[in-house]
Amino acid sequence: MVEMLSPLAPVWRPGPHGDLSAGIGVVMSETQPGSIVQLAAWPGETAGMLAAIDGHTGLSLPDIPGGGVSTETKAAFGFAPGKFLVVDEAEGLAESLSEAIPASLGTVTDLSHGRTALRLAGPKAEWVLAKFFAVDFSLPVFPVGKAVSTGHHDIFALIQRTAPDAFDLYIYRSYARAFWTALGHACEEVGYEVR
Amino acid sequence: MSPRRTSAGGRIDRTRSIRFTFDGVSYSGHAGDTLASALLANGVSLFGRSFKYHRPRGVLAAGIDEPNALVTIVKGEEREPNIPATMLEIYDGLATVSQNRFPSLAFDVGAINALGGRALAAGFYYKTFMGPVIGPLKGTRFWMFCEHFIRRAAGLGRAGTAFDTSRYERMNAFCDVLVVGAGPAGLSAAKAAAQTGARVMLADLDAVMGGSANWSSETIDGTPAASWAAETVASLAACDNVRLLPRTTVWGYYDDNTLGALERVTDHKAAIRKGEPRHRHWAIRAGKVILATGAFERPLVFPDNDRPGVLLASAAQRYVNEFGVLPGEKIAVFTNCDSAYGAAEALHAAGARIMAIVDVRTSASEDARRIAASVGGEHLLGHAVVETEGGKTVTGIKVQPFDPVAKRLSGHARHLDADCLIVSGGWSPVVHLASQAGAIPKWDETLQAFLPAEPSQPWVGAGAFNGHYDTATAIAEGAAAGGATTDEDSLPAIGNAAPASPPAAVFEIRASGKSFVDYQHDVTAEDVRLAHREGFISVEHLKRYTTLGMATDQGKTSNVPGLAIMADATGRTIPETGTTRFRPPFTPVSIGSLAAERFGEIRPERLTPMHDWHVAQGATMFAAGLWYRPQIYGKPGENIEQAYVREARATRTDAGIVDVSTLGKIAVQGPDAAELLDRVYTNLFSTLPVNKARYGLMLREEGIAFDDGTTWRLGENDFLMTTTTANAGKVMQHLEYYLDVVWPELKVQVTSVSDQWAGAAIGGPKARQILAACVTGTAVDDDALPFMGIVHGEIAGAPVMICRLSFSGEMAFEVYCGAGHGLHVWEALIEAGKPFGLVPYGLEALGTLRIEKGHVTGAEIDGRTTARDLHLSWMLSKKKPYIGSQMIEREGLVSPNRIQLVGVVSLDNRPLNGGSHIVERLDVQNPHDSIGHVSSVCYAPALGKYIGLALVKGGKARHGTRAFVSDPLRNRFGPIEIVSHHFFDPEGKRMHG
Repeated sequence: MVEMLSPLAPVWRPGPHGDLSAGIGVVMSETQPGSIVQLAAWPGETAGMLAAIDGHTGLSLPDIPGGGVSTETKAAFGFAPGKFLVVDEAEGLAESLSEAIPASLGTVTDLSHGRTALRLAGPKAEWVLAKFFAVDFSLPVFPVGKAVSTGHHDIFALIQRTAPDAFDLYIYRSYARAFWTALGHACEEVGYEVR
Repeated sequence: MSPRRTSAGGRIDRTRSIRFTFDGVSYSGHAGDTLASALLANGVSLFGRSFKYHRPRGVLAAGIDEPNALVTIVKGEEREPNIPATMLEIYDGLATVSQNRFPSLAFDVGAINALGGRALAAGFYYKTFMGPVIGPLKGTRFWMFCEHFIRRAAGLGRAGTAFDTSRYERMNAFCDVLVVGAGPAGLSAAKAAAQTGARVMLADLDAVMGGSANWSSETIDGTPAASWAAETVASLAACDNVRLLPRTTVWGYYDDNTLGALERVTDHKAAIRKGEPRHRHWAIRAGKVILATGAFERPLVFPDNDRPGVLLASAAQRYVNEFGVLPGEKIAVFTNCDSAYGAAEALHAAGARIMAIVDVRTSASEDARRIAASVGGEHLLGHAVVETEGGKTVTGIKVQPFDPVAKRLSGHARHLDADCLIVSGGWSPVVHLASQAGAIPKWDETLQAFLPAEPSQPWVGAGAFNGHYDTATAIAEGAAAGGATTDEDSLPAIGNAAPASPPAAVFEIRASGKSFVDYQHDVTAEDVRLAHREGFISVEHLKRYTTLGMATDQGKTSNVPGLAIMADATGRTIPETGTTRFRPPFTPVSIGSLAAERFGEIRPERLTPMHDWHVAQGATMFAAGLWYRPQIYGKPGENIEQAYVREARATRTDAGIVDVSTLGKIAVQGPDAAELLDRVYTNLFSTLPVNKARYGLMLREEGIAFDDGTTWRLGENDFLMTTTTANAGKVMQHLEYYLDVVWPELKVQVTSVSDQWAGAAIGGPKARQILAACVTGTAVDDDALPFMGIVHGEIAGAPVMICRLSFSGEMAFEVYCGAGHGLHVWEALIEAGKPFGLVPYGLEALGTLRIEKGHVTGAEIDGRTTARDLHLSWMLSKKKPYIGSQMIEREGLVSPNRIQLVGVVSLDNRPLNGGSHIVERLDVQNPHDSIGHVSSVCYAPALGKYIGLALVKGGKARHGTRAFVSDPLRNRFGPIEIVSHHFFDPEGKRMHG
């Protein structure tokens, strides 16, 4: 299989950057999952869709707005009523979900190439995200697993908290380089490492 | 006046010296000094020249309310004007200059304006310079001529023109409780709120939190107030649930408890760390706001009240107690209330002589009498200051008996020695934020001040903001506002409490001489009365006529005195005269901080998967919305026309390839997907077989053409819609609107997949051979891949989807693959094309090929044209309704007078311009009677001519006739022939093969 090329290649500068006097505040990385799939349940079919996600991926999502879970290799979350993003390190999830989910339940849309997955982790991750998004990212309000569909000016973003100090961001691929660059600028004052 | 540093006291660090310059002279101060305190400590009393009269001005206040001592900070080529010296923390290397003076601050030729006396009163410039006829200059033209000179003579600092190299940022913050102001009330509130476990933010505009505790002479629970404040701040800083924001001005209060604040992050630093912003703009969403913003002291209005050496009493107390600076040696006090007595006591304790306390009231409180006796000097009750003496600094004052009820002077004025006069005209609670939040301030007759009204949003006030000026009440109110449930016994005890009593209702002492109300805009009491005499009775008109309160300080020291003088002139009470209401911002906000991370990066760049390849091949990139697309792949020595003609010609001869990844792509999925498409397109899609594509046209509801593109049926319930690059977002919104609002019963899901797919359009006589050479897993011959057919296969191992469709008019294919494989597939196509002469082409050649074919784009589907105008009526299905179908037969949309698509050929063999008018008779001197316009132009290599598409009245009926292009703006006139828009291969033989 041909490897998926990252849109960040020319601006990928691994290593520490910015003001490192207080250590590394944030680690920026690209997670490059093999599959990013959007599921949309027809009205009234959300429970069935959640069951299908659970059955197919083993991820049991709470049926609450933005509810989600993540593991080392997989993640899933709701980002709008009846709509979910399911992510897998492995390729081929769209095909297998298409077989598992009947047209009567909802739709399966493969976005594996269309979204770029970025990870922001570290003690200053919340601080940096607060520069871009008018979202309360504090842990009690935005617990691990929760996700939100939001935007920064022209750039649409889906954000899931995957650990107390880590967030995964799904950005439209064509904007990924511009967003990554802006993210790097925002991280400079807290010291960051690209890896 | 001879200000000097005291031997001890204050929050400055006397062990650390800091060097800075003012007007090129080097001075030294201490860490913790403001520019104002450091200059005063160096004996400097002259800080600037006034706005209009160029009068010498010193420092009046010690904080954000300072109207006089504005300076410009100079950093290399960058200049930032109008910074109050009282808010500017000094650092090593700080360079500042004074403003509005020439050639120097001490000798300013503009000071001659001061001799103009009444001539320069309010309205002078308008009355004098607007209207008269001076030679050829009439009315406003004379004003415009003079304005340049007037603006040079009057004004504040001059902004720099150098690029601002600073960095700015924005933060979004959420909290349960936002406390604005960190004086005793605010600290107490934050502490109480923090103890409830709430998320607390505490913002204060000063560098050191503590507010009045930092300069009062009180003790709190037995410790000096400043120490109590420092300890409280330290305990708050240790709380995880508290965020402290010093140097942060909360400047705007908006709906839903959203507040704007500006944090000055590095303005006080000599060295800036990497990535540190200069300013940080905070957008704060607070559950509850506690307004503990304190109060501003008001000056009194009397002749020559603006002479350097005249300070607010609280400012003098602040300089001596907080900064260890005595503003004078021989100090006189002029007041209408008790608080100035406390200042006198503090100055006396620090070593100053109190020459006199002049009080307009005929009796004073016991506290006041006690202090007056202890500090020495004359205690003149029922007196007023009627003049200050001296040049660029106070050398004495004149006092005279005064009746505070009749507001009349009596007897004779006499001289008193003094090098500094401290003044108090009472206090005005800082109700600005509450007023912004919608509460109209209420006048309080006892306190002679505007107090906050009932909250209109979830805020509570505490302390001086409420008009409760004593520290004990401030702390108690703060604690209650913060949610403390403690009883009064647990509140700290205040020692040596500052005297506080309501002021006398005296704002002005009328005597001869200029009495300033608004120092910063040089508005005098006489200007206010002149405005009244000339019929400006409303306070709003008064403000605009005199410019009172319209300077950078927004009248912090002048609004209430100005209103009081107007009330007196009109014989009304203050509330009858008007109410001061406030708009954001409370203080000036840097534009950079509002732009924040967008500063210098105004919009994101949207890049296709093949972007870097285009750049590496030397393509000239062209911004198309947020996208960047190759315009041409120029070779050395080629101009744009030569490059695109070469690219287009090669495509017609051999083959060309263009990146079409920017096209809007929408996945339309679900059992009702075909039904939705039938409703939004003018033609049928439900009849489209799987693995076939169809060209579709959408109309807006009123029947005007909206967008076009091909839609591919990938499965029974699965379509891939393509839109034009420019309309991708609009079409998506259009579909979502209809699905959400109009037809919620349709089971259709639409998803933007524009970024999922990379697209390459490959066209030309050899295009099929190129595909055959690199595509595996499917045949690409006419049987397997007929016109508008779709096949799935692989190129160089990557899955691809190929549709045979043509925009160029050639045998052409669109090859789609996952965006992450885009570059890989593109390079494989380029490689496969080498033996066949394949060339990459850009937007210019793309435009040329489609113009030759007469295909329309956004230049023709311009929001004004109908399908018929564009000869697309064959696409209007009669078998079904669709969006816009009800309106397309409207009289105006079928009128024969409408403009219609035609082709035009330049007959003088010169290029045409898009946007040129088309006329039947050429009249260069008087262009008129346009019959249409040119929409798209190119040199057509297939025809060897300059051609264009145009929208012309009568359209088809004019085929074969001559007309002219008329483009006076670009001076392009010339003959054209109107022809069919199908210039090249009208039968489509090449495309169908």
